[in-house]
Amino acid sequence: MSQDIENELRRALRPVDAPADFTARVMRALPPRPASAEVVMLDVVRSRAQPSWWSRFSTPAALAASLLVAIMAGRHVALEHEERQQLAGLEASRKLMQALRVTSQKLDLVYEAMQRPPPVTPPAEENRS
Amino acid sequence: MTPLHSQAGHSSLLQLARRGDIQAFESLVRQHQASVFSVGYRMLGRRDVAEDLAQEVFLQLYRRLDSIESMEHLGFWLRRVVANLAIDWLRRPAHSATQPIDDELAMVAPESDCDPLMSRALSRLLGELAPAARAVMVLRYQEDLDVADIATALDMPVNTVKSHIKRSLTALRGKMIGAQLIEELP
Repeated sequence: MSQDIENELRRALRPVDAPADFTARVMRALPPRPASAEVVMLDVVRSRAQPSWWSRFSTPAALAASLLVAIMAGRHVALEHEERQQLAGLEASRKLMQALRVTSQKLDLVYEAMQRPPPVTPPAEENRS
Repeated sequence: MTPLHSQAGHSSLLQLARRGDIQAFESLVRQHQASVFSVGYRMLGRRDVAEDLAQEVFLQLYRRLDSIESMEHLGFWLRRVVANLAIDWLRRPAHSATQPIDDELAMVAPESDCDPLMSRALSRLLGELAPAARAVMVLRYQEDLDVADIATALDMPVNTVKSHIKRSLTALRGKMIGAQLIEELP
């Protein structure tokens, strides 16, 4: 039943032709298409548009200068750091030598004390009984 | 149509039209005008308004030729635009009442094997459906679009399209039975 009414609909809804003059009517109503406009650059604009040497190279030059300054500053900081480390190393070495020297002197004193004969004590109460 | 355009394939016809070839565009109009006009005519029920609507569709196409990717896209685009313009027209307050159907609308093409009385009745009953449901039925049974394509064209969910078809068929059947054009099943 549903199939019947669907088939009837398909038959009833067959496309109908547009009026004979329809195409002409549409074509008459078309707006003019904008022509592809060619951009003509005036001499004034063109000369203004030509970039000068400075405007062309100023940015790369500024970037290069900034990079150079950054490298030099970094190198300076690194050298200072290295110098500080060297001084600290020398100081530590000096302190170590001093400590070794003091230790050596103390050891000498101990050695001398050990080499000395012990003091003689009188036989005090050996014959008392 | 010039020999060049008669020989040109459909895709090259579209390319020519996009490059500004006015004769190529005219060929495209000729190829699609029956479909566009028919959808408008079945939707609105008036020949004069359908003509204006179809003309508006082709003017929109002319302005947006650059966005058309292929001939398949063109056919789909035209159906979508005409259906939506027709729905908008029907929803305007001045046109929201049930539209009178031209007597000519129900006339059947001479080669058709359709019962003229049935065809006239179906066309009238179709005109009584709500605009969106009418658009769904026209795209389904005149343009033979599937449910998914109708959903895309009318920007509605697939289930809504199916629901429109089911309810419209039921309503049409009921009215046909009421008019004793078909017999009720026992």
